[in-house]
Amino acid sequence: MSERSYWQRMGRKRMSRRGILRASARAGVGAAGLALVGCGDDDDDSQSVAQVQQQQQQAEQDAQQQAMQQQQQQAMQQDQAEQQAQQQAAQQTAQEQTAEEQAEQQAAQQQAMVSQTKKYGGYFVEQSANVYETYDAQRTVASPVLQVLARVQSKILRFSNPDTGELVGDLAETWETPDATTIVLHLRDGVNWHGQGPGANHPAAAPGRALTTEDIVWNIDRQRNKLLESGEEAGNFGRSAYWGGVDSLDQGDMSVTLNLVEPDATFIQGFANEFNLINQPELVGGTEDQYTEVDASKVIGTGPNILTRWDPGEGISCVQNPDFWGLPDRPWLDGWVWVQTFQDPNAYRIAFEQKQVDSMTDPDPNTIFAIHDDRIDETFLTFQGVANTVAIFTPSNKPPWNDLRLTRAIDLAINRRQLIQQLHNGLGKVSGPVSWMQEAWAIPQEDLETIPGYRIDKDADIEEARALWDAAGGPELGQIDWVTSELWASRAAWSATPGIVAEMFNQAFDTDQFNGITKPYLEIIPSWIAKDFDPFFSWIPNIEIPDARADMIGAFTTGAGSNYWDVSDPYIDETLIAAKQELDYETALQMVRDVQDYVMERGQFGRSICYNYIYPYIGYNYNKIEKKSDEEGWNFLAVSLQAFEHWLDLDDPSAADRQAPEPTPL
Amino acid sequence: MQAYIIRRILGAVFVVFLVGTFSFFAIRVLPGDFATASLGLDAGSASADNIEQRRADLGLDDPIEKQYANWLWDTVRLDLGKSFLTQNTVWYEIGRSLPYSIELGILIMIVGFTVAIPVGLISAIFQDKALDYSLRGLAILALAAPVFWTAAIASLVVLQWDLFLIDVIGQPHLWEDPGKAITWYLIPMFAGGFAGTATTMRLLRSQMLEVLRQDYVRTARAKGLRESVVIMRHALRNALLPVLTVMGVTIATIVGSQVILENMFNIPGIGNKVLTALFARDNPVFQSVVLIIAVFTVFTNLVVDILYGVIDPRIRLS
Repeated sequence: MSERSYWQRMGRKRMSRRGILRASARAGVGAAGLALVGCGDDDDDSQSVAQVQQQQQQAEQDAQQQAMQQQQQQAMQQDQAEQQAQQQAAQQTAQEQTAEEQAEQQAAQQQAMVSQTKKYGGYFVEQSANVYETYDAQRTVASPVLQVLARVQSKILRFSNPDTGELVGDLAETWETPDATTIVLHLRDGVNWHGQGPGANHPAAAPGRALTTEDIVWNIDRQRNKLLESGEEAGNFGRSAYWGGVDSLDQGDMSVTLNLVEPDATFIQGFANEFNLINQPELVGGTEDQYTEVDASKVIGTGPNILTRWDPGEGISCVQNPDFWGLPDRPWLDGWVWVQTFQDPNAYRIAFEQKQVDSMTDPDPNTIFAIHDDRIDETFLTFQGVANTVAIFTPSNKPPWNDLRLTRAIDLAINRRQLIQQLHNGLGKVSGPVSWMQEAWAIPQEDLETIPGYRIDKDADIEEARALWDAAGGPELGQIDWVTSELWASRAAWSATPGIVAEMFNQAFDTDQFNGITKPYLEIIPSWIAKDFDPFFSWIPNIEIPDARADMIGAFTTGAGSNYWDVSDPYIDETLIAAKQELDYETALQMVRDVQDYVMERGQFGRSICYNYIYPYIGYNYNKIEKKSDEEGWNFLAVSLQAFEHWLDLDDPSAADRQAPEPTPL
Repeated sequence: MQAYIIRRILGAVFVVFLVGTFSFFAIRVLPGDFATASLGLDAGSASADNIEQRRADLGLDDPIEKQYANWLWDTVRLDLGKSFLTQNTVWYEIGRSLPYSIELGILIMIVGFTVAIPVGLISAIFQDKALDYSLRGLAILALAAPVFWTAAIASLVVLQWDLFLIDVIGQPHLWEDPGKAITWYLIPMFAGGFAGTATTMRLLRSQMLEVLRQDYVRTARAKGLRESVVIMRHALRNALLPVLTVMGVTIATIVGSQVILENMFNIPGIGNKVLTALFARDNPVFQSVVLIIAVFTVFTNLVVDILYGVIDPRIRLS
């Protein structure tokens, strides 16, 4: 397991050794990184022909695998025996491991053997959001929409390993980059739009039609031009800036050539951005005037599942696409069911403990830990980082904050670890200018521990901050209002945040100048755009791809869209633009690291990234997920992978007495 | 009597108008609106254009006086609009939720009155005896224990020993699947019922004690009537009059008063609906549901008042 795994590091810091062993034993073979659970009935009499064919294929594969599995099992058993012997010897000499830990390791090995035999069928049941702003992924900023659409629609490429950003073809089978500004996508043959379901039955849809290059071009043009079919310009195409990097498009027989405005090594990852799902032009173009009226009849895709119900606040479901063109034996599940959000944790707990839903999370992690302790034999615990980074913005583009000493004093005074403790029960990790969730690009936690502003020795930070504050005339600034977003403060557990943030600064500078106030994003966001904002604490925009170069360029290069601080520094411009065009990964990593160090020495120019917090999830052991890497779990970019990687082991004892609902059928 | 009824009806209409107006402005005074609330923690990722377009789509960018005038005119025409959240008409949402609230409310009332009346009666008959003290103690306990606490403890007990299924997802109606529905409603109906028992029981006890000291009760006993006849026919009937008022108020509030229990057990009733609408800033649903609750409460009280007058001529005459 890579030392860069944030799960490992988080676990080492926040969980007991016993706890991390327990969690990793289960997460390693089951779901990890996401609340992945499912349910179903292997004995469904109404199986489709495709399902039967898939089961036959599976049976053949099972037969081929059986011999191999036996060998593997023998080898594993032998390893197990050897390991036991080693453990016994270790016990005799050092008495370090407890019997419980050994038992858990053995259980993990046994479960690893079980995971060799994947089973088809079953429905995965989890809680959904209640509110969906639209059914059009290209016009939403809300990630819950993607939780649904990622199962039924496809992208040009997708992440095979979201931790590292490795890509595989989705609608494009292969791709090439003949030069720095040209990308050629070769589309897959045999991809058809869904031929059944509510979306296929919509009068505007073209069900069962083959995917064409025109479809891809329409989707790209729509976003880069921000134009609806009516000719009206729409301001809510969230990825329009990204697609604006395309200068022109050429169509071949089954290929599309993108000519970029300028060299951009990060562009290809954007194809796998979870928001870049491909719509059918006929259906989405024909329903654009009702884009806020969410229901299943307005969704058609090419993905592994077909949406059969989408009633916000009531229920959502999808079932397997019998005509799926993708991986031959996928998806393993028969379908997915999302139930409405539980307004009260009591209802959610009942639903989980009685196995009506298969996963659970709670704002109070102690609830999750308590349930896990109660059901230690049949549940696993896992963690997921929240991609919405928490930050403090200081308006360093205007007086008095344009004095770099003040900006740096604020950055040093932020007690990031204390905020994680106060607001998130210690579940979270500090982030440098690049979030720890963009793992490859982020400054490692152990490095951050000695960097000013992030030091474990906070007293040293405070001493330095106070000296800068005094030297820059901070005490003469009078009362300072520090804004927290109303949305953040409206959450019961975080309602004290404005006061906590103000008190953090008051203590750091030994003053009472700071006041905590709240404002809605409706005021905050336009003020960012106008570069006339008040000091701010809350979430900032989502991370969307693992490559951090685009985020850094957007925040720190001269004139960039998200450079609200008017940072204009030739060194940063030169280095980040070079990094963007750099095709050698290691060189690009070093360039971004150099810029991070540079901006941190300057108080991050007012864009003080604080941390990303973590939610614990609990699931039953019958939920399995095919592991793709040595990493212990996936990150937030793995949404679309869930459609392919889930399977259920209904023979697992934990599957007894499941009460899961079934999806709306086709 | 006719003038009295007309006066009361006009007063009720005015109260409903005030409540509706209050709810209209109350949800707009709260921070945020549906355009931002629907984005959740992704709101920070939205562009100003995105949010403004969303507000325009929902009519939230209209001046407040225009929104109010539109709402008033639509409400008079019984057009409550569409839910921002589900895009269903508000009438559909209310129609879907109301049966759940009525089912739960009736079950709570059945539990409450079934327990309260005999307990109140027994407590009065055995005044200052051990049984009276015990029952009054239990009543105070029921009154003191918050309903969410009782329900949460009961839920944990059911989960710990896996006693029965609480079908928080299936959400069956009593007429669809009585077995599953009754186990789903079991904890909230007893938690809510017991909480309501205390008030009714103590009121009935004090009324009974007062009535039992009346001359006509003494006369009935002196005439040699059996004690059960004295209690049931002469005392209880008179003691029940104020209890009837309490029952009327209780019935009037069953639709909107079960917010906590409905949310704890994922019962998609009116209380649950109003809370969801409040969190999501779903203005049409919130203001309409509050209005409907107000209508139900005001007019049920009106009916009770009129019936009261019918039962007791002294009230009508005064």
